[in-house]
Amino acid sequence: MSRGGGDCPANGILDDFKYDVHDEYGPNLKVLPTNHEVKELQTILRDRNTSRSDFKFYADRLIRLVVEESLNQLPFSKCTVTTPTGAIYNGLKYERGNCGVSIVRSGEAMEQGLRDCCRSIRIGKILVESDAETHEARVVYARFPEDIAGRKVLLMYPIMSTGNTVIQSVTVLKEHNVLEENIILSNLFSTPFAAKAVVHAFPLMKILTSELHPVAPNHFGQKYFGTD
Amino acid sequence: MTKSSKNTSSESVLRSHTRTIYTAGRPPWYNSAGQQVEPFVIGICGGSASGKTTVATKIIESLNVPWVTLLSMDSFYKVLNEKQHEMAARAEYNFDHPDAFDFDLLIPTLQRLKVGKKVEVPIYNFVTHSRESKTKTMYGANVVIFEGILAFYNAEVLKMLDMKLFVDTDADIRLLRRLRRDICERARDLDGVLKQYCNMVKPAFYHYIAPSMAHADIIVPRGGENTVAIELIVHHVHTQLTLRGFKVREKLANAYLGQPMPDSLHLLTATPQVKGLHTFIRNRETPRDEFIFYSKRLIRLVIEFALSLLPFKDLVVETPQNVLYQGKRCATDKICGVSILRAGETMEQAVCDVCKDIRIGKILIQTNLATGEPELYYLRLPKDIKDYLVILMDATVATGAAAMMAIRVLLDHDVPEENIVLVSLLMAESGVHTIAYAFPQVRIVTSAVDPEINEKFYVLPGIGNFGDRYFGTEPSEEA
Repeated sequence: MSRGGGDCPANGILDDFKYDVHDEYGPNLKVLPTNHEVKELQTILRDRNTSRSDFKFYADRLIRLVVEESLNQLPFSKCTVTTPTGAIYNGLKYERGNCGVSIVRSGEAMEQGLRDCCRSIRIGKILVESDAETHEARVVYARFPEDIAGRKVLLMYPIMSTGNTVIQSVTVLKEHNVLEENIILSNLFSTPFAAKAVVHAFPLMKILTSELHPVAPNHFGQKYFGTD
Repeated sequence: MTKSSKNTSSESVLRSHTRTIYTAGRPPWYNSAGQQVEPFVIGICGGSASGKTTVATKIIESLNVPWVTLLSMDSFYKVLNEKQHEMAARAEYNFDHPDAFDFDLLIPTLQRLKVGKKVEVPIYNFVTHSRESKTKTMYGANVVIFEGILAFYNAEVLKMLDMKLFVDTDADIRLLRRLRRDICERARDLDGVLKQYCNMVKPAFYHYIAPSMAHADIIVPRGGENTVAIELIVHHVHTQLTLRGFKVREKLANAYLGQPMPDSLHLLTATPQVKGLHTFIRNRETPRDEFIFYSKRLIRLVIEFALSLLPFKDLVVETPQNVLYQGKRCATDKICGVSILRAGETMEQAVCDVCKDIRIGKILIQTNLATGEPELYYLRLPKDIKDYLVILMDATVATGAAAMMAIRVLLDHDVPEENIVLVSLLMAESGVHTIAYAFPQVRIVTSAVDPEINEKFYVLPGIGNFGDRYFGTEPSEEA
């Protein structure tokens, strides 16, 4: 019998890599357990010859997988339920009081994936603009649920090349009294540079990405929304 | 010659005034290791207009067994060239001679039916004397009846017949029937019919048909009117079927206790989310809309996991950032889904959401409440399914009886065993063992394996009746 994830033979090659990630980025950065199928999704999104319709289709699939894995970072407690056969099942349940926050624009591509997993979850938005010359990021708009300070926040942003946008966004969240350890960053592609910058700035924040690669697929937002 | 009472010979289903054959489910046609049990093949031979079809119909009616296939030798007439076609129009072509039949096609067709495989039977057009472009698919017979004027002519065919009947009807009566049929029903003229009878039909009977009576196990005088003979035959067939059939389900549920899990099982990692989803859908208090929503999430995860087990190949792509990217691509693009109705249908949406434009086949299997056995009621599969990698879907697998039947159907349609992936949300341990033992190359993918099955064949602790809960058809009171 083989289990998915870590000890599946298809993923065995990646075990060494996982330890490296832990050493280099600390315990709070996780890479989606990569198998050949995730790699295929990444390949299609990287391929310049992928049509826009395919791009969106496969991006949505990868987003769904990343969102599902991000939700795994939420706290839970044990519970037992009775099944229709009258037997007892030892399960677990998640706490209430979560919300999503997407960073406009490409983060919004991930909202549907979150909605598909958590139907009526509240979703806040942040708009960050970066200066074309200095690459300095500046928050120009933020709208959150009123009680965000007491919630766990799933922060959505698919591509990180420098990490500046995310760092500005998390700063805003912290200004709204969100605890750093209550933030989970959901990300598809990150450069090692950005990952280090973000981990360094917020060591308590949990980060989930599907790939660490020196070249970020910066065409994501344009191709997903069709504005190139 | 044997222009029978229809223009095309395509019927594998007989409809009598009292009932339609093929409408009831088919009980297992394989043993508990998933291996095929041969169908019972009855050969019916006799002169033209002797009443072979009537005898076949009476047997099928009194057998009262579903899944009977009637194969007529008429389907295997050779395609005529232009000259032969003209001869046929002048009633000079000999349709009663062995050379008129395509034994090269007939023999392998019968052989495949005999081992339970799907066959494509030609549809012969008696007006153009050629085959229709379409064929008739025949699959899934417990009893095969093969009838024709030269049914006993070929030694290969004879070997395959488990029971050989010869319908012996008086020559005068046969001639009378032919005259009435050809003149009244087909507007032929008396001279032509008589010429054909004297020159070809009658000599062929004495040369080829009458001598083959020696091979018969039973000779039925007077054909379909002979109720005593029919009763005897039906009794014998019933005895033979009982000897071949057996109860599969009970045997399955009790085997393999305490064995380690097989290598062909691939279990979705039990992350907190997966556990949490299970908690929702297993809880009997969960309202239906939440049950559906969380089931769908879990199904999506299982399907994604199943796809990751497919073969992949390396690939280098160009990126918009002008660097090359070392990636992967699935090694096959011929993937199709097959759902086991009803509960398996709930997984179709997820497959369509992850595989663009995927083809979906369906198999309806229901448990017979009287016997506890699974029965096959309906199937529609993509025509060239043997070339596909098949994702076979059922929400829950308890004893594995239904999944086993579905896998057997796929194998009978020539899908290689290693190209089948069985995907479900929940399995019982015994179901895993049953499938893995019978079909070791079928990959089994699920999100949880429960230890037990109760006396109603539900998994414990389980989900209950998944299909009823999903579609909202639970009985109002727990039986």
